[in-house]
Amino acid sequence: MKKIYLDNAATTRTDPEAVKAMIPYFSDIYGNPSSIHSFGQEAKNAMEHSRLIAADFINASPEEIIFTGSGTESDNLAIKGVAYANGFKKTHIITSAIEHHAVLESCHNLEKSGFKISYVPVDSYGFVKLDDIKKAISKNTLLISIMHANNEIGTIQPVEEIGKIARENNIYYHMDAVQTFGHINIDVDKIGVDLLSASAHKLYGPKGVGLLYKRKGVKISPIITGGSQEYKLRASTENVPGIVGFGKAIELSKILMENEIAVQTELRDKFIKGVNENIKNAFLNGHPASRLPNNINFSFDFIEGEGILMGLDMEGIAASTGSACSSGIMEPSYVIKAIGRNSVLARGSVRFSLGRFNTEDEIAYALKTLIKLVKRLRKISPLIK
Amino acid sequence: MGKIKLKVKVMAAMSGGVDSSVAAYLLKESGYEVTGVTMCLGISDNEKNLENPGQNIISKCCGMDSIKDAADVCSLLGINHYVYDFSVHMQEYIIKPFIESYLKGRTPNPCIECNRFLKFDILLEKAKALGFDYIATGHYAGIVKVNGSPFLARALDRKKDQSYFLYSIMKKNLGNIIFPLHKLTKQEVRKIACDIGLKISDKKDSQEICFITNDDYRDFIRKSKIKYGTGKIIDTNGHILGDHHGVFNYTIGQRKGIGISASYPLYVLEINVAKNLVVVGSKSHLEKRRLIAREINLFVDKLPACAKAKIRYNHEETNCRIKTLNNGSIEVTFNKPQNAISPGQSIVFYENDIVPGGAVISEC
Repeated sequence: MKKIYLDNAATTRTDPEAVKAMIPYFSDIYGNPSSIHSFGQEAKNAMEHSRLIAADFINASPEEIIFTGSGTESDNLAIKGVAYANGFKKTHIITSAIEHHAVLESCHNLEKSGFKISYVPVDSYGFVKLDDIKKAISKNTLLISIMHANNEIGTIQPVEEIGKIARENNIYYHMDAVQTFGHINIDVDKIGVDLLSASAHKLYGPKGVGLLYKRKGVKISPIITGGSQEYKLRASTENVPGIVGFGKAIELSKILMENEIAVQTELRDKFIKGVNENIKNAFLNGHPASRLPNNINFSFDFIEGEGILMGLDMEGIAASTGSACSSGIMEPSYVIKAIGRNSVLARGSVRFSLGRFNTEDEIAYALKTLIKLVKRLRKISPLIK
Repeated sequence: MGKIKLKVKVMAAMSGGVDSSVAAYLLKESGYEVTGVTMCLGISDNEKNLENPGQNIISKCCGMDSIKDAADVCSLLGINHYVYDFSVHMQEYIIKPFIESYLKGRTPNPCIECNRFLKFDILLEKAKALGFDYIATGHYAGIVKVNGSPFLARALDRKKDQSYFLYSIMKKNLGNIIFPLHKLTKQEVRKIACDIGLKISDKKDSQEICFITNDDYRDFIRKSKIKYGTGKIIDTNGHILGDHHGVFNYTIGQRKGIGISASYPLYVLEINVAKNLVVVGSKSHLEKRRLIAREINLFVDKLPACAKAKIRYNHEETNCRIKTLNNGSIEVTFNKPQNAISPGQSIVFYENDIVPGGAVISEC
C-alpha cells in the first residue's frame, strides 16, 4: 500500500540534502566546539556557519541566535528566561488561549511563582483581538507571547500590529514561530519581535534542535546551567550534526519557500473546496485565507476525529487530530474549543498538513478517501439522529 | 482456530490486561491482520490516586496506564494500536442507567450492558465501517457454528467462563465476533503471556466494576449528586426497625451494613422504592423459586421449556422451567429454591455448551 504523509505540522521528513550535510559531523568532524584544537575548531566553524544562515534568514545578527534542543525548550527559555532576568520586578505576561503547551505551561509555571498571566481569547477564526491585548496591558506587564501561526488551525496572527503595541508600551514581544519558520517570511525587525522560537524538524531539518532569536539588549537568564556555550545562555555540548542539518534545512527553505507557498496554497484550497463541495456538515477551522499554506483543519459533525484518523491510516494516509486521551480522559482540542466549536465538533477535528514531498495525486487520493470514509462512518454514527 | 484466508481483518479490543493481549497475539499467530483498539472510557487515573493517596492502586481495565500497557503489547506484537473515545457512550449507556437502576432498588450489572451497547454494538459497527471483518475480545467464551449459524458458547474452562456477561450480544452480531480464548484456561493464557515476553503477564485480574474507582458503588452514587430520599427499614410483619439512607445502599441478600441489631442475622429481602422501604428478615425468607424476566435476548428462535440457568455470575447453574407470558416477559421456575434473586441482575440460560439466551430479572 502506498503511504501518504499529511502530518507535516507534527514533523517533517528530514530532507535528504540535510541528512547528507549532517553525516560527516557524526564520525569525521566530531570535535567539541568548545575544544581549542583543530577538531573543535572545525566543529565550531560549521556551527557558526549555521548560525549565520539562521540569522540572515530572519534579518537578525548571528549573536542574536541561540541554538537549543527544541522549539519547546526555546519557548521555555524565552518566557522563563525573561522573567528570571527581570528579577520579578514586573510580573505580568499576556498570552493567548491557543498557544502551544510549551508556552502555556511555561506561563502556568510562572503563575506558581506569583506571576499574573492574561490569556486573551480568540475569535471564531482564531485571531486574537488587538483591543484585548491593549486592555490587558498594565505597568506591570513584562512580556507579550503570541504565536505567529497556530499549529492546529493554521491561523496567522496580526503579529506586526502586536509587535507595534509591544514596542509602544515598552514590553518584550516573544513570538512562537515553530510553525512558520521556514514556511512563510519572517523579518524580526519588520515584526518588531524581541524573542522568537523555531524548531528544525518542522522545516525538513533533524529532530532535537531548535533556536531562540534574542534581540540585542534583551536580558534573559539561562534555564540550563553548567557551561558557557551559546553566550552562557544554554549550557550543553552543542548538537553539532543537528545544528549543521538545521542550517542546511534553512538554506533549502530559503531557496524553495516562495514556490512551496504557491504550490501548497493551491493544493490546500483545492482540498478545502473538495471537502466543502462533497461533505455536508464539514466545518473549516481557522481563517480561509490568513492561514498557513500547508494547513487544512476540518471538524466533521457526528463523528469523532480518531475514527477518521484510524480509517485514513488503514488506507495509508497519515493525518492528526487535536483531541487526545490524556490521563484516561479523551480531551477535545482546546484550540478548537477556543474558537467556539461545541465539544462534538472539537472531538471531530482532523488536521491535514501538507509538505514538500507531497504530490498533487496524493492530495487528490486523500480527498477521495476522506469523502468515502466520512460517509461510511456517518452511516453508523449514534450521534446522527 | 482453523485455517483462514489471508488478510482477514480483525479489530482486537485491548484493555491492556493479560487476556485481551494474549487474544490479540493468538489472532496474529493464526494469520489474521490484527489491529489493536483500546476504548477510552473517561475514567481518570489521577482521580484514583487522589482518592486513595498512598494506597495500592487496584489495577483497572481502563485508564491511562492500561492504555499504555495495551500500546506496549501492540508494539511488541508489531500491530497498530489506536485509542477510541467511548467516554460519552460510557456515561449515556452505562453509568447513567447504573445509577438509575440502584435508585429503583435494583442491582444492575454494568458489564453486561457494556457488552450489549459499547463493545458488541457501537465498537463493532465502527469496526465494520472501517473495513474490519471481525472484532475480537479476551473474554473466556466461544462462538460455535450449529447448522451453519453462529451461537454463543461457554468457555471450555468453566471456572473462567464469561458467557454470562455476553448473553446480551445481539444475534445479528455473533457472526462478526471471535473469542480466541474459547478453549484456554487462565493458567495457559498466563503461560503464553509469559512465554512471549509480555511484561503484564502477572497483572492482576480485574474484578470490580471499572468505573468505580475505590470499589465502593455507594460512595460513587452519593458523589453523583443525584437526589435520593431516606426512609424506613421494616421487618416482614411491617414493624419499623430503623432508618435507611437511600435505597441504593442496599442489595437483595445483603447482610453487612444494615445497622440494626437483632437476635438473628438480618438480610435485605426486598427493596420497595414506591414506599421507600427496605424490608429485612431471616435468611429463609430470601429463598424463592420463581422470577419474572424482561429484556429478553435470544440466539435461538424460541427458548426451551427446560434449561439450566444462572441468576448471577457466581451462581451455580440450576435446572429450571421457562414459560413465555402473554406480555412478552418470561416466567422462570426453579426446581429448587434459589437464594437472593435480585431484580436488575440477569438470568442466563444454558443448554450443554450453548447459551440459548438470557434476560434481565424484573421481579421475584
